[in-house]
Formats: sequence, structure tokens, C-alpha cells
Amino acid sequence: MLGGAALLAYTLGLAEAYFRVLDPQPLMPRYVTGTPWGVRGNIPNARYRNHTEEVDVEYRINSQGLRADRDYPVQKPPGTCRVAVFGDSFFFGIELDRRDSFAGQLERRLEERSPRIEVLNFSVGGFGTAEMLRTFEGFGRRFGADAVVFSWDDSDLQDNVRSGLFRVDSGRLVAANAEYLPGVKTLDWLMQYRVYRLIADHSELYAFVREQSERLVKEMLRRARRSDAVGGESRNDARAAQDGSDGAQSGGANGGEDAAPVPADDRKRQALLDLSSDILLRSRDEVESSGADFYLVEIPFKLSRTRFRSGVDVLPAAVRSQLNVVYTYPALSRAARPGLELYYESGQGHLTPTGVSVLVDEAVKSLASSPRLAACLAAAPQG
Amino acid sequence: MLFNSSVFALFFAAFLPLYLACRRHVAIRNLLLIAASYVFYGWWDPRFLILVAISTAVDYVAALGAAGEPVRHADLLKSAAFLTVATVVSLACAPHDLWLWQPVALGMLAAGAAIAAIVRVPERGRRKYWLMLSLTTNLGILAFFKYFNFFVGSAAAALAALGFEPNAPHFSIILPVGLSFYTFQAISRTIDSYRGQYRPRNSIVNYAAFHAFFPQLVAGPIERAAHLMPQFETVRPFDAKLAGSGALLFAWGLYQKIVIADNVAPIADAVFGAPAGQSAGATLAAVLAFTVQIYCDFCGYSNMARGLARILGFDLMSNFNLPYFARTPSEFWQRWHISLSRWLRDYLYISLGGNRLGRFNTYRNLMVTMLLGGLWHGASWTFVAWGGFHGAIQVVYRALGIDGVIERTRFLTPRGVAIHGACWLVTMILVCIGWILFRAHTFADAVTVTANLFGTQGYEDGNFRRLAGYVAPLAAVEIYQRASGKLEFLTLGPFLVRYTMCAVLVLTLFAFGARGTHEFIYFDF
Repeated sequence: MLGGAALLAYTLGLAEAYFRVLDPQPLMPRYVTGTPWGVRGNIPNARYRNHTEEVDVEYRINSQGLRADRDYPVQKPPGTCRVAVFGDSFFFGIELDRRDSFAGQLERRLEERSPRIEVLNFSVGGFGTAEMLRTFEGFGRRFGADAVVFSWDDSDLQDNVRSGLFRVDSGRLVAANAEYLPGVKTLDWLMQYRVYRLIADHSELYAFVREQSERLVKEMLRRARRSDAVGGESRNDARAAQDGSDGAQSGGANGGEDAAPVPADDRKRQALLDLSSDILLRSRDEVESSGADFYLVEIPFKLSRTRFRSGVDVLPAAVRSQLNVVYTYPALSRAARPGLELYYESGQGHLTPTGVSVLVDEAVKSLASSPRLAACLAAAPQG
Repeated sequence: MLFNSSVFALFFAAFLPLYLACRRHVAIRNLLLIAASYVFYGWWDPRFLILVAISTAVDYVAALGAAGEPVRHADLLKSAAFLTVATVVSLACAPHDLWLWQPVALGMLAAGAAIAAIVRVPERGRRKYWLMLSLTTNLGILAFFKYFNFFVGSAAAALAALGFEPNAPHFSIILPVGLSFYTFQAISRTIDSYRGQYRPRNSIVNYAAFHAFFPQLVAGPIERAAHLMPQFETVRPFDAKLAGSGALLFAWGLYQKIVIADNVAPIADAVFGAPAGQSAGATLAAVLAFTVQIYCDFCGYSNMARGLARILGFDLMSNFNLPYFARTPSEFWQRWHISLSRWLRDYLYISLGGNRLGRFNTYRNLMVTMLLGGLWHGASWTFVAWGGFHGAIQVVYRALGIDGVIERTRFLTPRGVAIHGACWLVTMILVCIGWILFRAHTFADAVTVTANLFGTQGYEDGNFRRLAGYVAPLAAVEIYQRASGKLEFLTLGPFLVRYTMCAVLVLTLFAFGARGTHEFIYFDF
């Protein structure tokens, strides 16, 4: 018994040392939990780090579950304008300091127009559009934003189906499941133990096992859907694993599919597109009914350092024309060059600060035409 | 089904408990082995199970006849029944190719006619005809499926060069996996029976299990009946120690395949796929990478095969013995793909006269053996040239008596180190040059690659660091194996050392194993 325990301890120690010396793993724990509005949210007041070959980043979550150093009053202070950002790990700012994240950079750029502007980041790693909408409906709309920005990448197509939060019934979008909390119960149970948090935060062996498990599950899911999928370009594997797992620890409920997530079967393809289109249009309607302008920022799909695929082309043109889409693919393609990393190439392959800045440039241009934000800024005292 | 696939893992996990349950009952165990082996092979393409069955059915009776044993009606019936059942099962799995029953039926009729003719031959000369039946069947299958288009195409090209315009037929023939391996193994059993070196028994179940034994069916080792066949006639041992050492051997083979071979393959593929314009460094790295890849790919497979067989209680011969330590080409062939080298030596080189007929005939026999050995690897003139190259350098070494010099020089002296070291270096360079011919798609590509090696620019372009990262641990292991004389290093030393090595091996398989399932190079041969 004692010998077995000693051998187990030796094995674990050896494995940990192996990864630290020979195959360092990115340490990217996720701190997510359930929310009263039925989807995942960041654990309030959490403080944790991500460490990869390229970055060492601290995340601070405020008591409201937003990535921020302070809490925001729900009631928008007089003279303040707000932009609310909803997205997945790209908008949350995985692998980025807060100031380098989409929300952080957007806030700085908008502050050039007015110092009384706040950008609130409601993003949670792994979100699809359905979860963004549910978060907006259940929580985000209370904050009285003047403009709301959703992220979109083509893996959201599958994520929106998988979450089961909405479905199209007789041509109309209706609410379906009350909640979508994959793996949250397990994670909540684990997170109550300090030793688990210690392992998740610091063990490269644990990071490796988690990564491989997620990859395996994802591969099995992908194989199960292979007959349906068209396209074949590989997304950065690691990033896909980050976003693609159903595991709450990875924070990922979204697709992160290796193949373009559009089934070859026309009927299934149409159903997939119909659902996401309706969710996006519903999001726009909900946002506008709250008194804000709605924007959709495209997250292109990385094929290589200098080649990308549009994130929004998959959506029907008729739908795109009804949305304020911030097309970032052309700008990102123009900015790309062999010596420049727009996406990280270790870790989980998210956008670098430079890559984010390209998106922010395009978003700022679009937001400049936001009537409600413009009205707010005009009303806000200067200086 | 590939050893390095999740499908095989599931297959073996399902098979092993059944095997253990019936391992004490030889006939039942062998029936299970036949079924498992046919599933294993048929997973790739069930239609080609018919070829395996034809080879089995014919060689079962041919070996009996070649050995001078009476071929009874019962044996012929068993053989025909086996082929019929296998064909029915195969076609049941491939319902779109039911027409295949017709050529099979015709083949059975032809074989029946041949057998009827053989049994009319006076008993004294009959053995030879049984042997010819085996050779005709196996080499006929091999010639059609592997070489038909090659020979017809080559003949047409030759005629075209002479000004004729032949209308040569070209069939879309799929090369059955492992065809060269199992036909050679079947032939060897019949020849051994003919020569009186092996006495076949009257059990088609035992023989079919031997013939199709899934660990070595598709890529060898090409076993001898005298070594392996008796193992199918007895209860095999099973214990934790044996199974453990088999599992470790399998793991080491898997390491060679998925960590080394599959990870260095892209370095070689990048250059051999498009050799023109490649820098000297990239080309050199590619040649070295392929040198490592082909070794680890095939040796890895052989180790996995031996490991699996050992888990089941069977002993397969060692197919590699540190070939890259060879100091002469002939030593290389004593260490590389040993089962094929011995096959060629015993059934071709010695049959041609070996070295008994004078110097010139010895050289001729060497060249013929190596040319045919090259052709065995693939239906392409580059393989023939590769075999010819190895034959030529062996002739030169033999003429210069270099093997004798090495034998007479003690290694542990300054002069010995210099001579052995120089010979090793020259042999390795020659082997690497040979691999260029082996890997290149055409002679033009081989010339381009060779010319690029001596280009003046870009030696720094080679992916040497990555290559060294994969090769260094292998080199360390092989130096230890060479120095200790023990190939199975994972079972040596105190418990903690063995445990640590195994744990590191397993961790490396997970951490550095190439993603995806890559086929083995020798499956094409």
C-alpha cells in the first residue's frame, strides 16, 4: 500500500518534471461557474494567471464577473457613455493583459474621443452567440450601454446548436433549454478545493492531461460529424481545444471545429444557418430595444501566419445586410506579413495585441457611426 | 488496420481476453487467431482476403507434397473448403464485388487440374511439381498484383525506344498490403519442406493461423516455418513477465514509429516531394531524415509485431540488429531486414551457387540477389537500381577484402578505432546515398537530390536541430544497446531505473507522438 503510494507520487513527480524540462505546457486554467441566467460566467473576484512560451498574463475578474479591475455601477453614471462587449475567449482577452484585450484597447481608443467612456467586458471563454444573447438578456442590458458589440466567428454556428438555448420552431426563434452549463457542476466541486486550484494553476502535467483529454473528446465529436462537414482547413489545434471543448474548465462551449462548421447536407446546413441568423437578429433586436446600437465584429479564422478565412462570409448576405457587421478580415489580411504575429503561435493561438489592434481599428471606425453612442458622447461633458 | 491506430487498440483489447480464454485449446485458439487475423487484414480491404486464402490453401497441400508426404483427399478437401469459406466471408464483406467468385472458381478449377496432373506424375519426381505449384501460385499473384503494370510498361517503353508503337495494356491494380511478405513466407515453407528442412503437418487450421498471423502478416518478419510453425502446434506460455516485456517492446516500436519516424518524415518529404531548387542544407537534412525515418518506421513495426506476438506467447525473429553500426555493406545486410536478407541468401543466393563457383560467379550471384532484392521492395527501376547499388558496393568490398580487414583488426586499439570508424563512416555514406535512390520518385529526382547535396549555398538551411532532437535519444539508446550487447534495454537494470525509463517512454509517446495515423512505409512493398 505504502509502496504503491510512493510509486504513484514518484510517477507524478517524474511526469511533472518531464513536462517542465522537456515539453513545457501552457498553463491556462479557466475560472468559470454557473450564473443565474443559465449560462457560464467568470467566477467573481477570481485572480489567476495564464503562462505560455509567449505570454504571462494575469486575469482579474470583478465581483460582477466582468474582466475588470473595478466594479461598475449598474446604473450608468450621468455623463458616462458605455460600450458593452460580449464574446468568447477572443474578446475576453485570453493570452492578453486587460489593457491589450479588445475591450481594453477599444476603451483607450474611444477615450481619445471622450474620457467619460467605459467599455464593459462581459465575455466568457467558449461562448457562442446564444450564450452572449442570454448573458445580455439576463445581465448585460441592466448596465445601459449605448453600443453593444458581439463577436462572431464561424465556430459559433455549431456552438449555437450545441448549447440548445434556442431553436427555430416553424420559422420563429424560440427559447429552448433554460440553461447550458457544461461541466460546471464538476468544476464548481473541484474549485472548492485549494489543492485543485493549485494544481490547475501550476501543474504542467495537469495542463497536458486536460489538453489531451479535450483534444480526444473533440476529435471524437469531429469524427462523428465528419460525414457532415465540408472544408478542411485546420484551425490552430490548441486554440480549438480551448474553445472547442464542452468542458467548463476550458470554458469552451463553442465549436472551435477543425473543419469549417457547415454541414454538407443542405437541410442541416440551412438549419444551422437559420438558427444562428435568427439568434443574431434577435440579439440586434434585444440590444436595440434596450436603447443601444448593435455591432457584430468578425473574428477571422487563422489558416497560417499570413492567411485567414473570413468569419462572417458563412452567414447569408441578407442577414449580414441587416446587421452592423465590422468586417475585419480584409484589414487583417492587409496587415499580415511573415515577420508579424497577429495570432499567437504557442499557447492557444489567440490574437496578439497587434492582431487585436487591427480589429479595434475597424471597430472604432464602425462605432463612430453609432447614433446612440454619438448622442451620448455629445451629451457628455468634455474634459 | 495499423498498429498505431485507435482501431487496432480497440481490436486488440477485444481480442486479448478471448485469446486468453481459449489459449490452452490449440485448435480453438488457432481458429480465433485466423478469425482475428482475417478481421485485421480485411479491415483494409476484405476482397484481398481471398488472396491470403488462396496462398494458404495452395501452400497447405503443396508443402505436404513437396515434403514427400501423402496428399490425401481429406487434405485437398480441407484446402478447398478453407478457400471456399474464406471467399464467401470475403465477398459477404464486399457485396459489390460478388463477380470475384468467378475468377476464384476458375482458379480452383485450374489448381484442381494442376493437382490432378501432379498426382499422376511418378512419385519420385512428384515433389518438384508440388514445389512448382507453390512457386507458380505465389509468384503469379505477386507478379500480377505488384509487377504487371511495371513489366508491361517497361517493355512498352523499351519497344517505343526501338521505334515500335506498342499498345500496352494498363490495369488499375491495387497492391494488396503485405503481399510480398506473406507470399515469401509461404514460399519459404514449401521450399524448406522440399529440402527436407521442415516437415509439414496435416492441419490446415494450424497452418492458416501461421500464414495469417496478424502481428506479422503485413510487414513481416518473414518467418521460417521451422521456427514459427511449431509454436502454432503447441499451447503457448502466458505470464505477466512475458506479456510485460512484449508490451515494452511494442511501446519501444511505437516510439520509433510515431515519435521518431513520423516526426522526421516531413523534413524528408519536403525535399523529396519537390527536389528542384532545394538548398544543400535542406537536402542533406532530408537525406539524413529519411535515413532515420525508414529505419525507425520499419524497425518500429518489427518491434511492435514482435511485442504483440510475445504478449500472445509467440516468439518472432528479430528483424533488425543495429544496422547503422555496420562497418561494411554486407554487415549492413546482416543487420537490416534480417528476415528478408536471410530469405534472399537461403533461397536465391545459395540456390544460384553462392560463393562456391568462383569469384566471378560469386559477384554475379551477389548482383542478381541484390537486384531482385531491390525489385522486391517495389515495382520501380529506382528500387532495382538501389538493389544494384548495394550489390555493386558489396562486390567492391568483397574484391578489396575489406570485411576480412575488419575481422582481423581489434577494435580497442588506436589503429582499430581508426579503421573501424572510417569503415563505419564510409558505409553510412554509401547507405545514405542508397536511400536517395530508394526514396526518389524518379532517377531524375535522385540525380537532382544528389547534385543539391553538393550545392554551394544554404547548408545552414537544414532542419538539423529538429532532426538531432529526435535522433539523439535514439542514438544514446543504440550506443548503449551496442555496448551492452542487449537489444531489449527496457527490461534491464534495477526496478526504479526500468520503471523510470518506461514512464519516460510512455510520456514521450503522448507528448511527442505525431498526431494522426501514418502508414508504414513497408506496407507498400
